[in-house]
Amino acid sequence: MLLNEENGNHMKATKFLLGSAVVAVGALALSGCSGSGSGDSGDGQVTLTFWQNSTTGDGKAYWEDTIAAFEKENPNVKIEMQSIQNEEMDGKLQTSLNSGEGPDIFMARGGGKLADVVAAGQVMDITDGLTDATKSALKSSLSAFEIDGKNYGVPTAVLPSGIFYASDLFTEAGVDGTPATIDELDDVTAKLKAAGIAPIAVGAKDAWPAAHWYYNFALRACSKEALDKAAESRSFDDKCWLTAGENLEDFLKTKPFNEGFLTTTAQQGAGSSAGLIANHKAAMELMGAWDPGVIADLTPDKKPLPDLAWFPFPEVPGGQGEPGAMMGGVDGFSCWVNAPKECVDFLNFIAEKDNQEAYATAFKTVPASSEAQSAVTDPILKNILDAYSKAPYVVVWLDTLFGQNIGNALNVAVVDMFAGKGTPQGIVDAVNNAAAKS
Amino acid sequence: MATVREMAQSTDNAPGMPGSDGGVQTQPPSGQPPAGRSTSGRRRRRGIGWAARAELLILIGPALVVFLAFVILPVILAAYYGFFSWNGFGTPTKFVGLRNYFTILTDPAFHEAVGHNFFIVIMSLVLQGPVALVLALLLNRKMRFQSLIRVLIFVPYVISEVVVGIGWSLMLQSEGALNGLLEKLGLGALQADWLADPALAIWTLMAIITWKYVGFAIILFLAGLQGIPDELAEAAAIDGASYWQVQRYIVLPLLGPTIRIWAFLSIIGSLQLFDLVWIIWGQYVSSTAGTSTMATYMVSNGRGAGSYGYGSAVAVVLFLISLAVALVYQRFVLRRDTAGALTHRPTAEPTTDSTTDEGKS
Repeated sequence: MLLNEENGNHMKATKFLLGSAVVAVGALALSGCSGSGSGDSGDGQVTLTFWQNSTTGDGKAYWEDTIAAFEKENPNVKIEMQSIQNEEMDGKLQTSLNSGEGPDIFMARGGGKLADVVAAGQVMDITDGLTDATKSALKSSLSAFEIDGKNYGVPTAVLPSGIFYASDLFTEAGVDGTPATIDELDDVTAKLKAAGIAPIAVGAKDAWPAAHWYYNFALRACSKEALDKAAESRSFDDKCWLTAGENLEDFLKTKPFNEGFLTTTAQQGAGSSAGLIANHKAAMELMGAWDPGVIADLTPDKKPLPDLAWFPFPEVPGGQGEPGAMMGGVDGFSCWVNAPKECVDFLNFIAEKDNQEAYATAFKTVPASSEAQSAVTDPILKNILDAYSKAPYVVVWLDTLFGQNIGNALNVAVVDMFAGKGTPQGIVDAVNNAAAKS
Repeated sequence: MATVREMAQSTDNAPGMPGSDGGVQTQPPSGQPPAGRSTSGRRRRRGIGWAARAELLILIGPALVVFLAFVILPVILAAYYGFFSWNGFGTPTKFVGLRNYFTILTDPAFHEAVGHNFFIVIMSLVLQGPVALVLALLLNRKMRFQSLIRVLIFVPYVISEVVVGIGWSLMLQSEGALNGLLEKLGLGALQADWLADPALAIWTLMAIITWKYVGFAIILFLAGLQGIPDELAEAAAIDGASYWQVQRYIVLPLLGPTIRIWAFLSIIGSLQLFDLVWIIWGQYVSSTAGTSTMATYMVSNGRGAGSYGYGSAVAVVLFLISLAVALVYQRFVLRRDTAGALTHRPTAEPTTDSTTDEGKS
């Protein structure tokens, strides 16, 4: 479940058409087994339903354009797109899959959540359908969609996390440079507080933004092996999980977060953590690579925050995690088990260099394809991409990694600790007891 | 409001159990010979032809189908799913017996949620009852702007829970309007983290609930007061009773049935409280802030955690707790209001009478 970042030799994706012809043959064999393709009509016309989560703006436009381009290359295929609000996606997908009418192509984020859907036999194994071009371009992030050596999805973006900050506020508080260790971060928060600025905003009402602090402390405390093992066993047996909680507890004692963080949301309105950064009411926020876009929506003039900058999560001395390791998410797409074979063609198509570049521009994010990463021009994203390329490994968000059931319990336990009601042992217990409630 | 609907059902259902052939057992008004009622009943039975059957089918059929499909079937399914470990994909296959129930009953988070529920039940009665009673007595007198005041008091009840929740949560945030107002008034010392402070949050919730639902109690009480004849108060006044004596010894006892029914609605509503908590605190923070309820526990550990089997088991437990409370209340508090109409009277005529009647005629 770890995304190994390796800089291998990547084949150019220019020979896509040839590649997709090979896929078609492979996928034919596949669909021969499943038999009941959903959209196949007699005359060779195929209709695919497609669920994604961009409801407005450039993201939605990107998908409309990409679909049009794909339909032009494949005249027998028609793709019907549905834009679904992100928070409704899981529930709708569940209902839809249970009724046996799943969308042919749907958004997925890998990890334990995808594994649950795979275990229910609802996702197509596309291992043989992926072109070599796709495989080499996505090499590093493809593993997020790998379960038992088989591939169940194609990533479109990687979203490493780190700390976004308003550099003007740092200057105002007399902070030079960015903190590289947790002690330096403590100094920064102290200086910001002295200057009357809320140091760090966190949307603990949504739980996951608070939980991301624990994830990152765990990333620093735990070795790669311990993380791998926990992903497999879905329990916190290693001592490092306790250490991570203790480190977080120590950090919380410095009271670095905004007032009333328990009722602060992550992204909704000016009072949210992103809104606090956008309006210079707080200096820092630990968030995934999507944050610049969210903050831009919440500034008074709806334009990107000019002084926004980024640094990776500080190192925590004494941990077993490799320095430079990152926590992050992957966005991608999977095929429903009974989808027509053209679904895989479409996934190969969106992994193509040009489409990945357009994706990076439209979503203001780091594309999954290493070939398309030159399209990243934004200084903040370049900074993120730089750290991402150097990272020895990248771990998927722990709640995604462990699946909904354990992830939920973990997040709630971390919020408890933020509120001063929990203990490091409480977090470990919550995870280890969650299985009983599944 | 959902509560009212559910209440109505349970009033119909629960007593239906002891005497499903209730019609026969209803005590006739004294003086009227039981035989007459019995004959008419028999005539009806005998005379039921296809037309009447079709009529019944058309009138009852659709409602019955909807009720069975959307109320009874989900209840049965929830009971079934509660025995499985099921993440919601495909059909449940992993049978776990009573494990879910053991987990629920031993989970401290659930104990807390139940505790919060019962706190809300009691505090709702304690806070809303007296306030509503006083305001209802006040509004029952002739005064200027009477209807305007009535409308204003009822407004919070009419506003959607979602609007109320979002509105209050914005005003009560640490940087929100209330703290701002306190500061401007020079009462900065009273500022607090109304929502996030675990010591305060449940009281904040009680304040919002009282504000929201007291109007409902007042309207009920006003309706009850309308039914009390003025002559009684006049007669008492002529006998020298003071205003307060009239209220205490005449109005209050006669308002009894209304108060008891309101309390019942309030109890059931408090046990099932969900929306306000969910909107103001959300699924993650409600347990931390100490405002979680059984219903929020059910949704966050069921749907939120993708554990649909566990969530269904919680639903069953919630149902049983509400049912138990409702039955106990009906048995001990509502008994005299519903006596005869819904339950056996201790002195109910023996059912053998009607059977004998049947036999004779």
